This record gives sequence, structure tokens and C-alpha cells, in this order.
Amino acid sequence: MSDTTITAAVARPKRRRHTLIHVVLIALSLAWLLPIVMALGFSLMPADAPGTTAYGLLPQHPSLSNYVNIWTDNPITQNLINSVIITVPSVLMVVLFGSMMAFALMRYRFFGKGIVVALMLLTMVLPLASIVVSLFRILLELGLYNSRLGVAAAYSALGLPFAVLVFRNAFDAIPDPVLQAARIDGASEWQTYRRVCLPLIRPAIAVVVVWQSMMSWNDFLLPLVAIEDNDRKPLTLVPMAYRGIFLSQPGALFAILVLISVPMVIVFLAVQRHLVEGLSGAIK
Amino acid sequence: MTRSRRQSLNAVVFMAPGLLLFAALIVYPVIYTFQASTLKWDGVNAGEWVGLGNFRDLRTDKIFQTSLKNSGLWIVLTFIPQSVIGFLLAWVLNKKIRGRNLYRAIFFVPAILSPIAVALTWQRLLDPFNGVVAQVGRATNIEFLTRSYLGDPKTAIYAAIFVNVWMWTGFSMLFYLAGLQQVETSILEAARIDGANEVQTIWRIVLPLLRGTHVTLLILGVIGSLKTFDLVYALTEGGPNHASELMPTYTFFSAFRRQEVGYGAAISVVLMLVAVIASSLLNWLFDDEARASRIQRRRLKGAS
Repeated sequence: MSDTTITAAVARPKRRRHTLIHVVLIALSLAWLLPIVMALGFSLMPADAPGTTAYGLLPQHPSLSNYVNIWTDNPITQNLINSVIITVPSVLMVVLFGSMMAFALMRYRFFGKGIVVALMLLTMVLPLASIVVSLFRILLELGLYNSRLGVAAAYSALGLPFAVLVFRNAFDAIPDPVLQAARIDGASEWQTYRRVCLPLIRPAIAVVVVWQSMMSWNDFLLPLVAIEDNDRKPLTLVPMAYRGIFLSQPGALFAILVLISVPMVIVFLAVQRHLVEGLSGAIK
Repeated sequence: MTRSRRQSLNAVVFMAPGLLLFAALIVYPVIYTFQASTLKWDGVNAGEWVGLGNFRDLRTDKIFQTSLKNSGLWIVLTFIPQSVIGFLLAWVLNKKIRGRNLYRAIFFVPAILSPIAVALTWQRLLDPFNGVVAQVGRATNIEFLTRSYLGDPKTAIYAAIFVNVWMWTGFSMLFYLAGLQQVETSILEAARIDGANEVQTIWRIVLPLLRGTHVTLLILGVIGSLKTFDLVYALTEGGPNHASELMPTYTFFSAFRRQEVGYGAAISVVLMLVAVIASSLLNWLFDDEARASRIQRRRLKGAS
């Protein structure tokens, strides 16, 4: 009996404190969500009834018409495909090439290893903007100007140093007996990499996939300078490319902004559970 | 085949694809940028070699000085609020409270949105005529909310910084959550048994143990600030009248708007050097102590 009174005495202030925390958290989350609510609301504002309510936060006559019209009136299907054509190869390349490099750095001694690691650490901090002038000229020289794959390759190269670092930390955490067992079983180097090591670093892969797809999907600067044709531009350039149209149709603009954002939110929700774990591995 | 020869061969196979990409699209552009920075060049006709002339011009360029000052402001005024709010959120959302995954998601979501989407949304929110903030300001007679923050050269950079804080605080929160996972619960238990209250526990025990996370966030914050282009370009295009220019937007403006490729490359070189030197310096400054705190953490783990 004395036990229960003690627990009750300890538990009661705790519950009250949590109520306070919830009040603060709810208020803060609502404030934090305000821009997102406004963007979602505006995306429902039809072109023929552009009135707003609630201090300009929400449309007066919400309708889904923009989500229909952006596919027909303003053909952005192609821009959506372009974003995929840029993002998917850049993520695949960075995961594959980055993990292969990290595997080699973990496993072999070779000439120039130190230089490669040093160069990667130095260039990890390079802002895209600091090489974008040259990238533009080089893509031009390589015949990759106006090419979506050229942009994807550039993103992979930019993401490579971070990916190698994260993968190397993850590989280092694999216990030696695992690698020894693979050797005893007669696994080839490729099998050791592909079948033994890669499956063990899933959280690290999650971090790199999120980071890389965010960079490739959301970026705006590189296609701005490296892609000329409107029908090869990714979604992020659509608001600027068709600025004139959107001036009279803010609803359609916000529908497109929502469309740009949805895939990354899905990616995030899919890997959310691995993310904290993967990060604590990465910052160790 | 000798063992070391076989190792080298394997290494080549595994390194080649990534290294090729890296050499062509990172190393070569860096060299190219340094080379271009010594030219007076419009990008069309052959450039004229001017040595360090572009850098000499930078020293007296008012816009460049603004961009340097803005970068400094950006680093300080984003890092501090993002870390403080981010840590407090992480501390609270590391407790077993109901709906914590939802809260975490809400605060983190802005960080994964495209800067373009964020910028255009905030542009509308802060619009002095139709924006929510100004309309609320007019309805409540709070004059201070009705100003044109992005349109005023005095406030544009601060408005952009504010938007950046909204966007990236959740990212700091996530890093602190990851850091808190590594703090042994037994240490916190011991502190509680010794009668430490929550503030003391945070101040004396948790924050020092999270030193590695602070340093990581500081370095990421500095690099992130120097990388910022999209958000500012979409919010203000570096304006009005270059008041919110950062080095990346000014590079872009020089090379692609004013067709001064050599001058743009010179700004790029400064940007590269600042990024590399700042991050190396921070790494070097904090590395020894970070190692010491790691050892200490291991000792504490062993003792408990």
C-alpha cells in the first residue's frame, strides 16, 4: 500500500507537467505548420474565384480544380518526369559508387588512399555555387549541357564525399568475425561487398538516400544554369519558367509547390524510423 | 599475384567509377574555377589574363563586402536559434510523451521541402498587401507586422534568416535526438538520484556530453550557410539593391547576369577558400577536446 502512495505521489506532478508540455508543443506546432497550411489552402484556390478568408490564410471557395488543371492547362507532367530522371540516377549512382569506394577504403591498402580521403574531406564542404560557373562550362564541353543525366551525374559527384564518409563509418562498425566468416565461406570480394556488407549498413543507406534525393529533387541552381529547354526542366524550375502564368493563377502555383514537396515527405515518412539511428551512426 | 598487387587491383575496380565521376565533376571544376578567376572573361570571347586583378577589384567592391557581412550574419543568426530551439525540442520529444513521432515530423518537415516552395510560400505570407502577417497586423492595429520585410533593404536579410530558421530548426532537433540516444540513461538516473533537477541535469551533464553533436551542427551550420543559394535567390534575388546578397548569389549574378565569368569565378574561389578554411579550422579546434570527451564518455559507461 505504501508503494502505491509513493508511485501516485511521484506520478501526479509528472502528468501535470506533461499537460503543460503538450500545451506548449501544440501551440508551437500550429505556428510551425502555418506556412504549410497556407500553401495547402492556396493550392485549393480556383483561378475563377480567387477570394481568401481568415486573413488571407485560406481560400473562400476551396476546390480541387488546380490539381486537375496543372496537368492540362499547364503541362507539367514532363517536368515531373524530368525531376525523376534527374533524382533516381543520382541516388543510385551515389549509393552504388559511394559504397564501393567506402568498401575499398575499409578493406584495401593502395597507393594514393590518403590523398583520396583528404580530397573527399576537403570537397565535402564545397558549395555547389562555388563550382557552378565551371560546371556549366564543363558540361558544355562534355556535350552534357541541357542534359538531365548530366545534371544527375553532377549531383552524384557532389554527394559522393558525404556518402563515402557515412558508408565508411558504417562499414567500420561491422565486426571483424563477420568478414572472416565470409572469407572462410569462400565469398569473392564482390560477394562480400554485395551480400555481406551492404545488407548490414541499411541505416547508413537510408541517410544517404534521403540526403541525396533531397539535394537532387529540391535543387534549383544547377538546372537553372545547365538546362535550357523548358520541357527538360525539373519541377523546381517551373515556378520561375512560367512566372507570368502564375501571377494570375496563384492557386496553380501553390498546387505545383505542393506537388514538388509531396515526394520528399513520402521519402521522409518511409525512412523516418531509420533516420535517428542512422544519424547517430553518422555523427559518432 | 602478390597479395598487395591483388589488393591494388581490387581497389581499382571498387574505386574507379566513383573516382572518375569525382575527378571529372568536382576536381576538374575546382581547377577550372581557379584558372578562370585569373581572367577578365565574358564567357564568349577569349579571356584576357589579369592575374590577381579580379581579387584586387573584390577588395573595393561594396556588394561583395555586403555579401561577406551577410554570410557572417547568416552563420551566427541561424546557428544560435536553430541549436537552442532544436535542443529544447529534442529534449522534450525524447521523453515518452504521447504523439512524439507526430511532433517530431511536424518540426522536421520544413527541412525536407524544396527551398523554392518554402521561399514562395513565405513570400506570400510576408507580402505587405495580401500576406497573412500584414493582414493580421492591420486587423489588430499592430503596425510592426504590416511592414514589407523582404522589400526593405534594411530588413531583407533578416527576413530571409528568419525563414531559414523555420526551415532548419527541425534538422538540429533530429541531430540532438540522435545525440541523446547515445547518452546513457544510467547517467541521467544517477543524476536524478543525486537530487539534480532538470535544468541542472541538462546544463551540467547532458549538454557537455552532447559536445560532439554541437560541433557537428556548428560545422554543418557554417557550411550550410555558405551553401545557401536557392532560398535567398527565390525570396529576394539578393535584393533589394543587393542588400541580401550572399556569396553564392553574387557569384551567380556576376557570372550569369553581368556576364563577368572571370569575376564570378574569383568570388567562387573566395567562397571555396572560406568554406574549406572555416571547416578545417573548426575541425582542428574541436577535435582534441571532442576526442577527450569521447574518452570520458567511455569511462563513464565503464563506471556505471
